[in-house]
Amino acid sequence: MSILELSGVTGGYTRKPVIHDLNFKLEAGELVGLVGLNGAGKSTAIKHIIGIMQEQKGEIRINGKTMQEDMDAYRSSFSYIPETPVLYDELTLKEHLELTAMAYGIDLQTMRERTAPLLREFRMEKRLNWFPAHFSKGMRQKVMIMCAFLVEPSLYIIDEPFLGLDPLAISLLLEQMDEKKKEGAAILMSTHVLATAEKHCDKILLLHNGYVRAFGTMDDLRQSFNMPDATLDDIYIAMTKEEEHE
Amino acid sequence: MNNLNDVWRKRFTHYINELQKYMRYIFTGHMAIVIVFLLGAGGYQYSEWLKDAPKDFPTIWVVSIIMGIVLTFSKPVTLIKKPDEVYLLPLESKMNTYFNKVLNYTTMSQMLVAVVVYIVMWPMMRQVGEIEVTGILIGLAFTILLKWWNVHVEFMFRWATKGRFVWLDRIGRAILSGTFLFCLLHHESFLAIIVIFLLALYPVICKKKTMEQPFPYEPFVKLEENRMLGIYRFANYFTDVPAIHGSIKRRAYLDFVLKIIPKSKKTTFEYYLLRSFLRTDDHFYLWLRLTVITALVAAFANMPIIVGVVAAALSFATAIQLKQALSKSSDFTMSLLYPIKEGARPAAAIKIARYTLILQAIIVTLAGIGQPYFYIHGLIVLIVGELTLRMSK
Repeated sequence: MSILELSGVTGGYTRKPVIHDLNFKLEAGELVGLVGLNGAGKSTAIKHIIGIMQEQKGEIRINGKTMQEDMDAYRSSFSYIPETPVLYDELTLKEHLELTAMAYGIDLQTMRERTAPLLREFRMEKRLNWFPAHFSKGMRQKVMIMCAFLVEPSLYIIDEPFLGLDPLAISLLLEQMDEKKKEGAAILMSTHVLATAEKHCDKILLLHNGYVRAFGTMDDLRQSFNMPDATLDDIYIAMTKEEEHE
Repeated sequence: MNNLNDVWRKRFTHYINELQKYMRYIFTGHMAIVIVFLLGAGGYQYSEWLKDAPKDFPTIWVVSIIMGIVLTFSKPVTLIKKPDEVYLLPLESKMNTYFNKVLNYTTMSQMLVAVVVYIVMWPMMRQVGEIEVTGILIGLAFTILLKWWNVHVEFMFRWATKGRFVWLDRIGRAILSGTFLFCLLHHESFLAIIVIFLLALYPVICKKKTMEQPFPYEPFVKLEENRMLGIYRFANYFTDVPAIHGSIKRRAYLDFVLKIIPKSKKTTFEYYLLRSFLRTDDHFYLWLRLTVITALVAAFANMPIIVGVVAAALSFATAIQLKQALSKSSDFTMSLLYPIKEGARPAAAIKIARYTLILQAIIVTLAGIGQPYFYIHGLIVLIVGELTLRMSK
């Protein structure tokens, strides 16, 4: 059974769909990079997967269940790191971790064990009693990352994680993602940083004008674009040029 | 040049609309009841005091000091905006048209306040100070003239000093305005001549200074922004103002309260909302304000029915406003993704609001001890609050 499965998903804000007939699967242990231009439908696709937008056609399954079938199971199966950190202004860092643990039914002792290494490596231990108002964008993002990882779900959805984080934090995040993959989780990560995507992702999902233009390993993509030895950058630019020829 | 007249007219219309919008909220909100109540109580006390005020009460002194203070606060309503620093710069020499409008509106709007304050003191001047009507009327006429003078001088002074030393200027003008009214009411002709001389000299000096430099946009933009912020803050006591973000305070001294919520999956939203209530100024002060007012009324108004009405009205206001404020947030929050059943947040909001109402009832009961039927008022808070929580949307 795939961890995430989209079949024929069409959806958008109004009658006019932004994403069309999306079909793809994420298997356990896979890191998939979601790549496309601004407005290609990356965020809309993510919003459908996390369930804050309803698909007009098709269905989305996480661990074999749709949200309509079992909302609790669906929501417990993934955690989400948005591009722009969303924190509660009135809660401290420690309370964010506690609240997340409570919401996902994780006892606080386990939560502390899971977050201690991240707190240390992100250098946030001394800021446990701080409010988000005093955090920089990178620190806010670190809070989101810690909240997402303490849940240990089977699916991680990460929206553009590389802007705002310092290089140390980026490599730490990549390390964490690697570890979760080994433990059998799947990760869907949207990004514009193509070099990093090419290096770390097992598969790339190229989204263009709301359609899946290509999906597969780098070799699959090179084959599909008929561009041996091409980098992801080359393929990306070739994809955007296709439109001009049309 | 018609252009700047248009600029003023457009901005003025927008400004008045904005004021009206918030005025509506103010007069329909619960605070209107409180204000009417306080005004009524104040008026009653004042009329009682007039009946047997001591004959040696220094009426003229009091009038002069109060009017001196009221007249001196003459912040110009310029409606200047930040981009003006760039876009209006080439029109420097034509700005006088605009500023005349500014000063006219400022004078008219603030004159009203000064006149009302003066008229409120009329009975005191008549009955306690025994000043004849013509004298009071002349004082009123000069109050209007002094307001005009104060508005123009404050504007020139801010221009001349680029917004610095305003307090020095205010103290000077308060003394001059107050002394002048004192001379008028007390018939001090010699002192009056000196004051008139100073009143004439002051603006001349300021005017000369303003001629030496271009209009300082920066301090005036800041002044205008702060003025609008003040209006929004005030309106925020009655309604949600989008321009104001509710500020957050730690209030660590209230941490002991947090212990009443156990940390488990079932209490996730209670955990969050209790903190939200205690730390968001808007929610916390809303409750505090309503509780303190009810408690004061319960303690000092010795008419059980009035206390009952106030307790019912304000516990209704507490319940409905807290329930609405805590039940939902307009922005995306991570809580939308929590694997917790739908409706958990509104249910938790009602629970937290209920705790605050129980505490309010206890405080009101304690405050009323010694008054007749005081135990009923706490009960009213509980019952009206609970009904509101259950029956409102």
